[in-house]
Amino acid sequence: MSIRTENIKYIYSEGTPFRTVALEDINITINKGEFVGIIGHTGSGKSTLIQLFNGLELPAEGKIEVDGTTVGEDKKKLKLIRQTVGLVFQYPEYQLFEETVAKDVAFGPMNLNLPQEEIDFRVKEALELVGFNYKKIKDASPFDLSGGQKRRVAIAGILAMKPDYLILDEPTAGLDPSGRNEIFGQIKKLHDKSNVTVVLVSHSMEDIAKFVDRVIVLSKGKVHMQGTPKEIYSQAEELEKIGLGIPQIASIVKELRNRGFNIKPDILTVEEAKDEILKEVRRRHV
Amino acid sequence: MDEYIIKIDNVKFKYDKDEYAVDGVSLNIKDGEFTAIIGHNGSGKSTLAKLINSILLPTEGKVYVKGMDTSDDSKLWDIRQTAGMVFQNPDNQLVATIVEEDIAFGPENQGVAPAEIRKRVDDALNAVGMYEYRKRPPHLLSGGQKQRIAIAGILALNSDCIILDEPTAMLDPSGRREVMETLKKLNDKGKTILLITHYMDEAVRADRVVVMDKGNIKLDGTPKEVFRNVDEIKKYGLDVPQVTELAQELIKEGIKLPPDIIDVKELVDILCQ
Repeated sequence: MSIRTENIKYIYSEGTPFRTVALEDINITINKGEFVGIIGHTGSGKSTLIQLFNGLELPAEGKIEVDGTTVGEDKKKLKLIRQTVGLVFQYPEYQLFEETVAKDVAFGPMNLNLPQEEIDFRVKEALELVGFNYKKIKDASPFDLSGGQKRRVAIAGILAMKPDYLILDEPTAGLDPSGRNEIFGQIKKLHDKSNVTVVLVSHSMEDIAKFVDRVIVLSKGKVHMQGTPKEIYSQAEELEKIGLGIPQIASIVKELRNRGFNIKPDILTVEEAKDEILKEVRRRHV
Repeated sequence: MDEYIIKIDNVKFKYDKDEYAVDGVSLNIKDGEFTAIIGHNGSGKSTLAKLINSILLPTEGKVYVKGMDTSDDSKLWDIRQTAGMVFQNPDNQLVATIVEEDIAFGPENQGVAPAEIRKRVDDALNAVGMYEYRKRPPHLLSGGQKQRIAIAGILALNSDCIILDEPTAMLDPSGRREVMETLKKLNDKGKTILLITHYMDEAVRADRVVVMDKGNIKLDGTPKEVFRNVDEIKKYGLDVPQVTELAQELIKEGIKLPPDIIDVKELVDILCQ
């Protein structure tokens, strides 16, 4: 079970002077249960790619398979694919519209013609999955919540559709550090608890480093590199060349190594850096 | 002339709720200063910015921009021209279909003479490094480029002070670098910069950092003075740069380091001595 792309090409404004090839030669696989991060400069094709995953856009060439079904081949199957692949857009809180949180989250499942009991169950489950106390939050107006809370409600709305793949486009843009931690903490927990596959598009190198198993790096519409965060972030020059960067902790480690510090090259957390630096400093002072 | 370009004098502001969004803030910004304001969502940062720009008027207290009272209706245009504002999403503030026309929009509305407009547009485009893009449609530029166009639009108004409300929230790392470099350069040329941000690595590059929480100013000082208070800053739902956190962790383990390290090079230099 996976999302698999084969030689995808996607073109914007075909037939106009603004024709732009947004994606080309994309061959990637997202396996069931993975936590994958997608990074790339603005305009690198990240958002286009994830819209291809659930058939919101169709490629000009190549194909995408979701659990073996080719996206777009049979229009009737699109509805099922969109249920399997849940997409949380940038600034999803703008999509909230109901008068209560529970009604808003129920909107998707209602459209699936599920029995009321099942809908109620899913709403409760989804809100709890994103860390809310169901009883306390269900009757609140979505518009009285904080930015981070609104966003969690919007994510719950997607989770209530029971997707196998949860795809989030910059879920923390515009949030403060604690809102960021709140969202990522809940997504991480969700991934660990249920077997939902998570694909995270983000500009925050620190957050990608902290949470994902595998990183896909896009540049100018192509896959530039793929690997574990440690593999990817050990290539600072390469990332800077394509408009990205490395977490600050990785640049500290890199500088120290350049100056002769004998520490591991692939450190991504403050904790790990502390331990390694302590070891080296103590070794030097013995 | 007053040494302060912005004077906020015991200001309170509430939207129609009971709570004050800004609850008794006094803050003076010197001409030519680069100030970063940080605080969690809902701490009152954006409200404060809008009070300076006279988009909102204080419920109590006074705000002065270059000595002009923001609640004086007759001064509205002068105030907005002096303190120009750049918002989070560049797509919401670009109005024209060609870059140079977008930048000319402000001065045209002020009735500036055409030759002078031409000069201001060219100067503004050069200042943000976007002159070659002057004939392009803005919607085909990258996020960082669009945000630089938005900044150029404010420059063309000859604003002395630029207020930016999370201008890099939607940008990738290189777009963020572009915007920060541009702000640094403008500040070197004497512009007063007031930057609202959630990125601590941006705040570190300012002359002064103001921390807001619940409508109040909690900390105010140089980046070094502010960020050494790691626990307090975390209490306000914020973060410190990873390098500061690492330094303080090492200090706890008995390594001798200053507690106010905010820069990678600084830490590396001391550790390698």
